[in-house]
Amino acid sequence: MGEDPIYSPFFGVMGATSAMVFSAMGAAYGTAKSGTGIAAMAVMRPEAIMKSMLPVIMAGIIAIYGVVVAVLIAGELTATGYTLFKGFVHLGAGLSVGLSGLAAGYAVGAVGDAGVRGTAQQPRLFVGMVLILIFAEVLGLYGLIVAIYLYAKK
Amino acid sequence: GASVRAPRITTKNLISIIFCEAVAIYGIITAIVFSAKLTNGENIREFTTSHYFTGYSLFWAGLTVGLSNVACGVAVGIAGSSTALSDAHDGTLFVRVLITEIFGSVIGMFGLIVGLIISGSVDDFS
Repeated sequence: MGEDPIYSPFFGVMGATSAMVFSAMGAAYGTAKSGTGIAAMAVMRPEAIMKSMLPVIMAGIIAIYGVVVAVLIAGELTATGYTLFKGFVHLGAGLSVGLSGLAAGYAVGAVGDAGVRGTAQQPRLFVGMVLILIFAEVLGLYGLIVAIYLYAKK
Repeated sequence: GASVRAPRITTKNLISIIFCEAVAIYGIITAIVFSAKLTNGENIREFTTSHYFTGYSLFWAGLTVGLSNVACGVAVGIAGSSTALSDAHDGTLFVRVLITEIFGSVIGMFGLIVGLIISGSVDDFS
């Protein structure tokens, strides 16, 4: 009667997968969308390229959030002694960081694309773009905070 | 398309194709590493938790690598297309706009790392 269900690692590993996959999707959208913006404005103002890499870096950070949670979950996976509670908690943690990373990546992509194209024409827009990007990035951070809090539950 | 007007960009922009190829190579690496754990299980009388755990781990680790590389491939493709277009306009821009593609391909590598970590410590079916 004290045996853990045999299917509890299924949910745990699903949590690690969803952490990585969904934040990768968000980061990919952010990178691609702001990358096209950077390439488009680079023909007009090549000196602003390096400054405009900021949305791409922030999209990469969202992927890193996913990697961190996925590696944390994977470190706790065992064949035996893995309770169903742990499995569900890890699934929740992975979904939390993954889906909010997906949302954050979408926001970073949209803001980054419009922001770098506008910064090429109006340099004073850069500070405003950075502020909005921070608000977009922080969505992924909230997901990471909740994921770590869930992960640490006994 | 851009090389119709500026044929000089063709050779340099093959790098974008190679970045996409790397995504496929991550898939092959994962398939080969996992297939080493797939031993013959016909002599097993009763499946233990260890067998189930191996099955679940390999399943989800494979999905991790596969789906994050799908996202990575799409990102690298879109970024590569914009790199080619800006290169066709001005050849000096190529290296700087290529940095966006490098960030994109890093996503696929993260997926590979996580997939290998998930499946790293599982025992094979014996």
